[in-house]
Parts: sequence; C-alpha cells; structure tokens
Amino acid sequence: MAERTGKSLEQDLMYAVVKEKYGHLMNDEQLEEVRKTVVGLSSFFTPLRAVRLTNDIEPFSTFKPYRSDDNG
Amino acid sequence: MAEELAFTPVRELASLIRDGGVSPVELTEQCLARLDEFGPTYNSLVTLTSDRALETARRVESELAAGRNPGPLAGIPWGAKDLLATSGGIPTSWGAAPFSGQQFDQDATVVTRLESAGAPLTAKLAMIELAGGMGYNQPNASFTGPPRNPWDRERWTGGSSSGSGAAVAAGLVPFAIGSETWGSILSPSNNCGLSGLRPTYGRVSRYGAMALCWTLDKLGPLCLTADDCGIVLEAIAGPDPNDPTTYAQPFTYDADYDPGRKFRIGVLKDATEGAQDAVKVNFEAALDALSDYADVEEVEFPDLPYIQATRTILMVESASAFEDFIAEGGPAGLTAPEDHYGPYARTAILASDYIKALRLRGVIVREVDAVMSGYDAIAAPTSLTTATPIDEQFRRTLTGPGDVIGAVGNGCGLPSVSVPSGFDSDGMPTGIQFMSRAYDENVCLAIGRRYQSLTYWHTRHPADLV
Repeated sequence: MAERTGKSLEQDLMYAVVKEKYGHLMNDEQLEEVRKTVVGLSSFFTPLRAVRLTNDIEPFSTFKPYRSDDNG
Repeated sequence: MAEELAFTPVRELASLIRDGGVSPVELTEQCLARLDEFGPTYNSLVTLTSDRALETARRVESELAAGRNPGPLAGIPWGAKDLLATSGGIPTSWGAAPFSGQQFDQDATVVTRLESAGAPLTAKLAMIELAGGMGYNQPNASFTGPPRNPWDRERWTGGSSSGSGAAVAAGLVPFAIGSETWGSILSPSNNCGLSGLRPTYGRVSRYGAMALCWTLDKLGPLCLTADDCGIVLEAIAGPDPNDPTTYAQPFTYDADYDPGRKFRIGVLKDATEGAQDAVKVNFEAALDALSDYADVEEVEFPDLPYIQATRTILMVESASAFEDFIAEGGPAGLTAPEDHYGPYARTAILASDYIKALRLRGVIVREVDAVMSGYDAIAAPTSLTTATPIDEQFRRTLTGPGDVIGAVGNGCGLPSVSVPSGFDSDGMPTGIQFMSRAYDENVCLAIGRRYQSLTYWHTRHPADLV
C-alpha cells in the first residue's frame, strides 16, 4: 500500500509539473490525456529502476574536454 | 526511356548508364515525371527538385561523353526524406506544418555525398511530422496527408520514412534515403515490400538532418534490393568532421562477401509471438529457404529492460531537441491530434531515469554483443503485421511482448537489413530482418542478398504501376 502511495504521489507530482509549465497550452481533454500518459510512465519506469548497477558503471556516452586548437 | 526501367535496381541502371543504354538526363526526366504524376496519389511528395536534379544529370552525361566512369550511382535519381537539409531555396519541412517553409543555407552531408557521386536529387519526400517523435499513433500525421501504400492505397506505408517507402515501392525513384530513430526505415521497408538498411549508429553522418534523438538517429537507404542498399551505403558512409559521432573507418561495400561457411543465424525466442499468421508462415519459410546456406538456432538475450531503456532515451532526447517548440505551444500546429499533447508528459521525466537508461545502455551493449558474437545475424519478422489500414490506430494492432529487437537494435546502434519475405492473402508484403553486430553491414547485407538470390519477392511490384 505504501508503495502504491509513493507511485501515486510521483504521478501527481509529475503531472503537476507538466500542468504548471504547459497547462495553458492545452485544453481539459488534452490535459487528461497527459495525465493518463504520466500515470503510464510511472509504471513504465519500474523495470528500469529495478536494475541494480554498481558504482563503476558510467553512462554510455563520452565526455571530452575541448579546446579549439586541439586536433587530437 | 522505357517505362519498365521504373523498377530497375540501381546496379542494373548503373550498368545501362555506363554502357550508354540509358541517358542520365532521360532517366532523371522519367523519374521527375513519375514523381509528379504519382507522388500526390500516395501523399509521398513534398517538393520536386527538378532543376537541381537535371543539373546533376547533365554533369554526369558530360562526364560520360568525355569517357570518364563517374561511379556506380552516377545518373541514378533518388529522393530524400524531407528532414535532410537542402540549400538553394528548397524547403525542408520535417513533415510538419509549422516548419513547411523552413529553409537552410547548407546541404546535409548525405545530400552532398550523393550529388558528388553523381546521383540527381529529384525530390524531397514526405514523412511523418518530426519523424514521429511527438508520439503519433495513426497514419494521418503529416502535413502532406496520410501516407498511402502503393500496394493498397487504403493501407499506410509505415513511418516515419513514409514518402521514401512509397516512392521506391511505386517506382518513382530507384532509391531513397530515410532515417531511423526506432523503426523508421525498417517499418516502411516492411509495409512497402522493400529492402531497407538501418546502418550502424555513426556509420552515416547526421549533419544537416533533423535531430530527433542525438544518440539514436541513423540515416540509411530504402531500395529494391539488399545489394542496392550496399551500393548506396558506400556512397553516404564515412567520417565527417561536422558530425563527431561518425565512425572513423570508411565503409567499403563487399558485394561478394562470403564467410566461407554457412551463415550462423539466431532467431529470438518468441520472435513471432503475436504475429499475424502470414507473417509467421512467411518468416518460417524464409528461414527454410536459407537452410542450405545458414545454420539457424533459437537465441535469447539476457533479461534486461531493453524497451524501457531505449524508450526513455528516445522520450527525453526528443523532448530536449524540441524543447523550445514544445514550450511555445508548437505542437498545436501539428496534424495528428495526439501530437498536440503527446510530447508534454515526457518533459517531466526525471534526470535520474534518463541517466539510469544511459548507464544501463552500457550494460546492454556488452551483453547483447556477447550474444551476437556467436552469430552472423539475429533474424526476426521486421514487423508482426502487414501494413494496417490508413484510418486505424496502428499501435492498437501491436500485440506480443513488444518490439524487443527494435529496442535492442536501436538502443545498441546495430545495423539491420529488412527484405520482403512474401505476401499475405490480401497481397500485402511481409518482411524479415537480419540484424548484425556493430559495423557488420557487409554481413547482414550478404545474408539479405543470399536470401534474395533464392526468392523472387523483391521482384514483385504493385500491378497497377508496372
């Protein structure tokens, strides 16, 4: 029950963020569709979040310091 | 020029041009005429680029007259998905009404490379608005109208490279360039009965192409044969200082690649779960057809959230790529009603989930490569269905565990070729895809080529257009 409350709370907060930032751009019907999507997203992330990764696993993208005269 | 050249593969056209049997200018004029006549029928045409095409064709003709061999794509007309930037006042619409008049001062690298190879750009081709990145779920999602399939105008082409699919399938151009973030080359290849290649991520420069997702976008060819895909890939691939993600090694197409043994093909467990009967039957028949040339066995990827990882990256990067457009209410000007609100929810996705997906991606690429190192390719139906009706929500027709191979292939940036595998009882094409390890385009193309040497599906074309 506590987990469901947590998920519901997250959904409410996600939806509140979208509504606050972009609510003026949509009508009630469209906002309802956004709310449904937010609810779906919250569950969608469950398997992703469930994977445990060790500290050494970095994002699979490379950051490279830059200077304009460095051709290497 | 004879009408029957309309469905002639690139390799044959090149030979005819070289031998003087076909004039590049006449071939280009023929394609321009067919695009003009049939393009609107399929809602596949955005802009005809006649002057530019004829200029290239005349240059090639002069080179031929001077006795020079200008190369395998010289004089071969083509069409570009309308997300590739073109200079000279030719609009680049991204398939979307709000951008319909957009112009650029420079050409996309792919455009430059093909024109340098002597291939006349005849048209900017229709596409799903913003490459489908706003969440469309039915075909009427382009300012040029719902993309109609040459095999049945009441079905759609697949997307988002919809016009590229329709134009090649209708014999309007011998090949076209599309893009894929997730499914946008393979889906129209499947639905339109074409050979389409999604190259390895970084194989082809994305410079000048609309960015949907920086780490997922790939450009590739839609052709009549797998062999043609290799010819086109060689022309467009290679490092580009304008796109730092391009792979440093150039690509040389090996049309004779042979592993010197049977191919090793893995078939994903449950690959046909939820597939239409015809898709299932044709897929199994395709593997049977290859049995003298390939050992086939079932394979499983480790249990990881492939779809969630790739989808998260797609949602977050697309929301960021179009951040200003979304914040300014731009989606309200799009064609598909669901695109009016589709991108907003994803703006609230947490950074921690995106970073988790990127970290997980590092695990996934290694796990997947470990499995794939035992095979030349993983085979699967390109799509679980044939082309669905033009007025139907296609996501409703999707069943089964989801597009795992699409999530793996695009999330890991792996090359895959789709070739036609037969037809259903309504005469709609089905497809089979062969996905190989990163940078092994020559391997998956060799399997596609071998399959097409054993079958005739790729030689069939819509009866009313032949």
